[in-house]
Amino acid sequence: MVVNKMTDPQEMYDIVIIGGGVTGLAAAMYAGRMKLKSILIGYPPGGVIATTDWIENYPGFISLSGKELADKIMAHAREYDTEIILDNVTRVDRQNNCFIAHTAFGQYPTKTILFATGSQYRKLDVPGAAEYEGKGVQFCGLCDGPMFQDKTLAVIGGGDSAAKEALILSQWAKEIYIIIRGERLKAEPVNLERVNNNNKIRMISKTNVTSIEGSEHIERVLLDKPYQGNNELLVKGVFIAIGSSPLSDLAKNLGVKTNPKGEIIINRQTETNINGVYAAGDVTDTEFKQAITGVAEGVLAVYEAYKYVGGEHVCTCVDTDYIDCPVSPKDLRSQSK
Amino acid sequence: MTTIPDDVKETVVNRFNDDLKKPVRLVFFTQEMECPFCTQTRQMIEEVATFSDKISLEVYDFVKDKDTADELGIDKIPALAILGEKDFGLRFFGIPSGYEFQTLIEGITLVSSEDSQLPEPVKAALTKAATKPVLIQVFVIPTCPVCPVLGAMAFQYAVANDNISVSIVEIAEFPHLANKYDVIGTPKAVINETMQFEGLVPPAEFINFIQKAAQGSPTGISPTI
Repeated sequence: MVVNKMTDPQEMYDIVIIGGGVTGLAAAMYAGRMKLKSILIGYPPGGVIATTDWIENYPGFISLSGKELADKIMAHAREYDTEIILDNVTRVDRQNNCFIAHTAFGQYPTKTILFATGSQYRKLDVPGAAEYEGKGVQFCGLCDGPMFQDKTLAVIGGGDSAAKEALILSQWAKEIYIIIRGERLKAEPVNLERVNNNNKIRMISKTNVTSIEGSEHIERVLLDKPYQGNNELLVKGVFIAIGSSPLSDLAKNLGVKTNPKGEIIINRQTETNINGVYAAGDVTDTEFKQAITGVAEGVLAVYEAYKYVGGEHVCTCVDTDYIDCPVSPKDLRSQSK
Repeated sequence: MTTIPDDVKETVVNRFNDDLKKPVRLVFFTQEMECPFCTQTRQMIEEVATFSDKISLEVYDFVKDKDTADELGIDKIPALAILGEKDFGLRFFGIPSGYEFQTLIEGITLVSSEDSQLPEPVKAALTKAATKPVLIQVFVIPTCPVCPVLGAMAFQYAVANDNISVSIVEIAEFPHLANKYDVIGTPKAVINETMQFEGLVPPAEFINFIQKAAQGSPTGISPTI
């Protein structure tokens, strides 16, 4: 059966993929391969991972930047007949068994939806954080680090992203304090070792920032316990790396169920509680959020959407159920000889 | 002297073979004795100009060729005007190195194809917004991976609409502008000296800033994204 010969109007998409990060881009590539009438709508291209300087855990690439990875998957997706629009979806409506995705400039009716909307940097909720955002409270070391040449900086956060942010900033800054709420920096061991070997980086553990102060720009942060006898730490910039929160509002407004963290609840097939609605990547309740797991979920989601709109089961060489496959295992073995 | 790695060169040459349609004039302004990045930038531009026979390069002295500089709105160096068969208003100040190399390639491709590649509703919104001349300055640094997204989008707007001109400025080379426009994070856009925002904004929001700037609204700052 050819999916795009179904009886729906020509302008009806089989799948609208919302989100321009690596999860959405990989899904778009697969949607093209599955010959689904598909469109990806997402902005910015590459998503959050594009602001990462180096990725060393994506199989097949020993080391590359987040932007390089996103560009490669984007180029791969463009090899297929999948539309890509750089814009934000502002609303998704349900209409009978179908959906309509809205942007500021258009409407896109579709049989299925994939939310690959990712996450956004979590903001620090202390006095001064909002006031100085963009004036010294920053979120992207690669983007803003050179503006802090030879300055003293604070990185707030206790995970791997805090470690990486401090390492990036050490290219330009005079010294960097990682301020950790917990007892220790919970980074990937390889990054922890790099931090420990970097003489510009110091760690302040079991400490919270209580406010960010200055005049026109940041001059200091206040700590809830003294560091070297002082609750005041003089810094010119504060980089926030306290994790991210899922961008699930569009899905929630559609009636998609989320957990208390706001993550979309999915099953192993990436299905949500609404038929024809799938989710993948950082926006979901998957525990181990990595580029590779998001990409895998995106691909699974497209396959489920493909079956949902009427596509036939695709047999693979490792399929355990050959009943519906065009050739039997014996035939496959004989063909491979 | 080669400044561009072989694998990058191969990618760009292939892209130019596919996408360059009409002639492109790269007009470069330098002044070797007074500009630390002028030599490196000129070497890079000279090399890019060899990637396609549709590209020609002209090199001018910022002081001796003041009339040409004024004609093209060049007020600092190193500077590059990216011209097609007409002037779409694309300028790059500073060295287009690092991630900004991508913005340079996008600019060359856009003026050559004379196609902004924007959907019709976006072009219509730009026509409605840019009712008067608008200069978009986009401040960037070479290590910023998201800066080319804003720079390329601004270039698309300039190609789509004759009232829009775009200057990409590598801010590390022009610290006085960093002070003047209070550039702490990149990318940062300043439109007609009246509207500004830091970070990436979606197209509708960007066009809204352009509209307000064309109408002469006072300075506004959007949240960092």
